[in-house]
Amino acid sequence: MILNQSMVAADAFEKHLINRKRKKNWAVKAAGFTLMLTSMVDMFSMLVVFLLQTFSSSPEILVTKGVELPNSITPSQVKEAPVIALSRDGNLYLDQKLVGETKVVSKKPDMLLKKLNIIKKEWASSHTTPFTGEINLQADKEIKSTTVALVMGILTSSQFQSIELAVVGQR
Amino acid sequence: MRHKTGLGTKKELDAQLNLTPFIDLLSTCVCFLLITAVWIEIGTVEVKQSHGTEAAAEKKDSFDLDLVFQSPTQLRLNLKKNGKRVQKIDVKGEDFNGMLASLQTNIATKVLNFKNKPIEIATATVTPRSTVDYGNLISTMDVLRKNQIINIGILTARGN
Repeated sequence: MILNQSMVAADAFEKHLINRKRKKNWAVKAAGFTLMLTSMVDMFSMLVVFLLQTFSSSPEILVTKGVELPNSITPSQVKEAPVIALSRDGNLYLDQKLVGETKVVSKKPDMLLKKLNIIKKEWASSHTTPFTGEINLQADKEIKSTTVALVMGILTSSQFQSIELAVVGQR
Repeated sequence: MRHKTGLGTKKELDAQLNLTPFIDLLSTCVCFLLITAVWIEIGTVEVKQSHGTEAAAEKKDSFDLDLVFQSPTQLRLNLKKNGKRVQKIDVKGEDFNGMLASLQTNIATKVLNFKNKPIEIATATVTPRSTVDYGNLISTMDVLRKNQIINIGILTARGN
């Protein structure tokens, strides 16, 4: 006997019933879904240990935009001091504020010296110890070394003699 | 407290950890540490630009080293004792990294072991050149610092 296709195949209503039953079963399964707590706590603990290991309480300095610091294998800890930055686009910043173009400032450093004097005065008013002359210098790794030396000369003449050259540590 | 049947009123041996506050604490810790994490380690290379009298006072019976950049791949070392040059060494390399390797060898063998006697370098002065990048200058200073030469100055255009 050859079965007629229409006799075997489920009609639209039967299909709808089957689908509804399937959905109900899935809903029952979904309600029983459990979070794998052991794995989650393991992962959290490992994350906490890793992050605690990399945690650093030393002072941090903001890297000025447009400055790619050179790498160093012998870095020391950063000290809290004013930050002077020489960016790749030729600008000079003091504590994130634009002072002017490096070329112009190195020829006529009056503006920079004035701002450095203000920093020194602020230091004197807030400290009882003598001025340490510490300053952080951030310079892009691709600018000329003589340009940096020129700015260092200006800093030295303004009693900032302990210059900390900011680098990216690669230990 | 649960009591097991047939065991009297003895306390259960397995301690039960209250997971909810534990997970809360861990999540808070993770969030705090992720926010305060420092991914790029920024350090400093200290440069001491000494002035006249200070420098002269430190130079008594001590060796000083001058590094003069001739080009990005060529460097001249002048070893000085009491201000007088006692040795001149030319350091060359095919590229900058080759020059750095040569500098490391020369400092270890010829400078710090001058005339087969170990010496200490009081101060080192680097004279930059416009053809040398700042990054390369730092790498050169790295070689000095690696060899325990810590008092490094950079010769500036203002004569310091």
